[in-house]
Amino acid sequence: MEQIKILLDENEIPKQWYNIQADLPTPPKPYLHPATKEPVKAEDMAPVFPMELIKQEMSTERWIPIPEEVRDVYRLWRPTPLYRAKRLEEKLNTPAKIYYKWEGVSPPGSHKPNTAVAQAYYNMKEGVERLATETGAGQWGSALAFGTCLFDLDCTIYMVKISYEQKPYRRILMEIWGAEVFPSPTKRTNVGKKILEKDPECTGSLGIAISEATEDAVTHEGTKYSLGSVLNHVLLHQTVEGLELKKQFEQIDVYPDYMFGCVGGGSNFAGQCFPFVGDKLKGENPDLQVISCEPTACPTLTKGIYAYDYGDTAMLQPIALMYTLGHDFVPPPIHAGGLRYHGDAPLLCKLTYEGYMGAVAYHQNPVFEAATLFAQTEGFVVAPETAHCVKAAIDEARRCKETGEEKIIFFANSGHGHFDLAAYDAYHNGKLVDYEYPIDLVKQSLEKLPKI
Amino acid sequence: MAGSSSYMYKIGFLVNPIAGMGGAVGLKGTDGKSYLEEAIKRGAIPLSPRKAKVTLQKLYEYRHDFTLLTCSGVMGENIIKEVGYKKYTVLYHLEGPNYSTAEDTKKVCNLFLEFKVDFILFCGGDGTARDIFTVVREEIPILGIPAGVKMHSAVFGITPKISSEIVKMFLKGKTETQEAEIMDTDENLYRKGRLQTKIYGYAKTPYVPTLVQAGKSIFYNESDSESKENIAQFAYEFMNDDSLYILGAGTTIEAIASKLKIKKTLLGVDLVKNRKLIMADVNEKEILDVLEKEKKAKILISPIGAQGFIFGRGNQQISHQVIKKVGIDNIIILATPYKLSKTPILLVDTGDEELDKKLSGYQRIITGYRIAQRHQIGLNTA
Ligand SMILES: Cc1ncc(COP(=O)(O)O)c(C=O)c1O
Repeated sequence: MEQIKILLDENEIPKQWYNIQADLPTPPKPYLHPATKEPVKAEDMAPVFPMELIKQEMSTERWIPIPEEVRDVYRLWRPTPLYRAKRLEEKLNTPAKIYYKWEGVSPPGSHKPNTAVAQAYYNMKEGVERLATETGAGQWGSALAFGTCLFDLDCTIYMVKISYEQKPYRRILMEIWGAEVFPSPTKRTNVGKKILEKDPECTGSLGIAISEATEDAVTHEGTKYSLGSVLNHVLLHQTVEGLELKKQFEQIDVYPDYMFGCVGGGSNFAGQCFPFVGDKLKGENPDLQVISCEPTACPTLTKGIYAYDYGDTAMLQPIALMYTLGHDFVPPPIHAGGLRYHGDAPLLCKLTYEGYMGAVAYHQNPVFEAATLFAQTEGFVVAPETAHCVKAAIDEARRCKETGEEKIIFFANSGHGHFDLAAYDAYHNGKLVDYEYPIDLVKQSLEKLPKI
Repeated sequence: MAGSSSYMYKIGFLVNPIAGMGGAVGLKGTDGKSYLEEAIKRGAIPLSPRKAKVTLQKLYEYRHDFTLLTCSGVMGENIIKEVGYKKYTVLYHLEGPNYSTAEDTKKVCNLFLEFKVDFILFCGGDGTARDIFTVVREEIPILGIPAGVKMHSAVFGITPKISSEIVKMFLKGKTETQEAEIMDTDENLYRKGRLQTKIYGYAKTPYVPTLVQAGKSIFYNESDSESKENIAQFAYEFMNDDSLYILGAGTTIEAIASKLKIKKTLLGVDLVKNRKLIMADVNEKEILDVLEKEKKAKILISPIGAQGFIFGRGNQQISHQVIKKVGIDNIIILATPYKLSKTPILLVDTGDEELDKKLSGYQRIITGYRIAQRHQIGLNTA
């Protein structure tokens, strides 16, 4: 009998995170200060982040120890299981073997607490009393509420007003874990007040919420800011997934041919694939295909340009070299809210630009079709974000059926979709709209712009 | 009288009792009385009273929020009484007991204007919509209860029930108004034996702004006019490429024109190049002549709301010859998310079957600033 779940012991939770910066052929380009356009220095970030995280952000050490206290929390749900998707394979009648690592077993239901817990810990160690952050509909907010709860920090979450009002379940979850949640824009910050003066009915946006959380952090003693994706230290914390995955594959003597993961800011997929991309950088397993999956509605890697751009709409965050659709691009309201970001993690972008990683984009409807097939065979109802790489894995397995190839296909199953059932409902009722980025017309419109 | 201190809406209500009856039994006449009698003799069943009744029944529980101003007999009062409304005002008395004419409709609408109704709820088809529009223009929003025949105008709810939903939202102050095409058979062409619909103008109609509830962070909460503005901004930015732009009819394209500071022929086709007007209100031949001299050309076009035609209705100047000359890859379709959500089917009918086939299938439609939706375009098999 072939094994369905490949499990590790609790004592096999990695003791170190893997920092891919150590293995890059050339160092990444620095972040630039949004005001001065000079490279950002550690002091510039100090009002916002604790020192240890700033060090990690800039570190080129290959291995960074995971504090025992963090590993101890990880034991609540880690190591996460690696599954062989036997039933899906049978349904597809493919000679390919499909594997997925299931991060939906964490208390908040996704990969996000891997970094939320670590960030809460370092802040606590440095005497920070409160963390401020933003959240769209609450995936990240609930992970940070959980993390701060365990280390006894206060947590203030600026939640985009319209989702605060219309999607209460994640908010309730955050409140259960003791966070205070405000519908953004609020009257607590100058940014918020200004916006409300102009437009009292403003329903908010992620850009506004980021600005409010940042302002809250820099204007209050004992308060720092926390970000759930994109930054190097966030990707670093997520490598706990990929390091486990390597051990699990070794245990059954398998090495993947394809790795797929959904990319919003890039943290969960980087976490899974960087230890393997590290092999590629060293010249091992050059044929491994590492593919980011994104929505056609926000096709950062497949249609964006590789350039320095602001990290947020409000232009408060550092400028980074990345693939971008422009910081003023407002992606259409697809259900995979976590993939609606105009840029992506600079490290993942660099590896994509240099050809170590690839990318594909999908429409919403085929993505939900794939996720439904997955639920009907493997049982798990995945998050709309995750559904993008389920689609990629299924497509590849179907291709293998045609060619007869017995490829090993892996996808990063980053979270469950139990709070996203309305999205599945919309799909089943034919209400999902497929969005596209009209790249030809955008290019045409940019052609004659004055060069700055 | 519980909770009746709030504003009492005045709804003008009118039914065209004979709307569409003739079609089913092969009648072409339009003379009121004999037409109706002949239709009934041939077995036609009056459809519109039944449809209007459904809408009024659904609104009954809200009866304390509005008052109906209407006409006697079959043109309104009968149905109102049947449903059980006690409070209403008859503004206009029909002479004949069981039929009405276009003249009656127009007279009633003048009274609606005089009595300053908040909006007009009517039951009928394109002809009725057009008669009403002739009088009230953009002064009063109008909403149609579909009476079951072909309805090309964009002022109808998809079903009588949906019409009642829109009225309910209106009563709660949750609607906005938008321009909607008034379409009807082109009578000049019809007399020459050709059946073709034509846009007669843009009425105002109440609509419920779509709050598409997305799974996660953001929701569409822009109004229809904001969407148009976003589309126009994007179009403005890409219309800089030395192509000749053929601008179709309608308010979406008009928004682009006004961004370019060009006066658009609302119901016609205009030619633009490098953001400047080349020729206004052109016919097919004029377009073809200009195309002879142009290297690159593009068509900007928006489907007709609710009814869904992209080519073949209201934009006949952009004929299959024009489309072929421009090339189907150079057609840019634009529409607001709201219009698309209300337009379940998109169609083309260029008069050239081969071309229609090439235009059908999945197409991209620009719906905002640097955003498009993918929609299926079908053939007109009706
Ligand atoms: C379940 C899940 N997967 C993936 C993502 C995308 O983020 P990232 O690319 O940082 O992993 C999100 C973000 O909200 C998420 O909730």
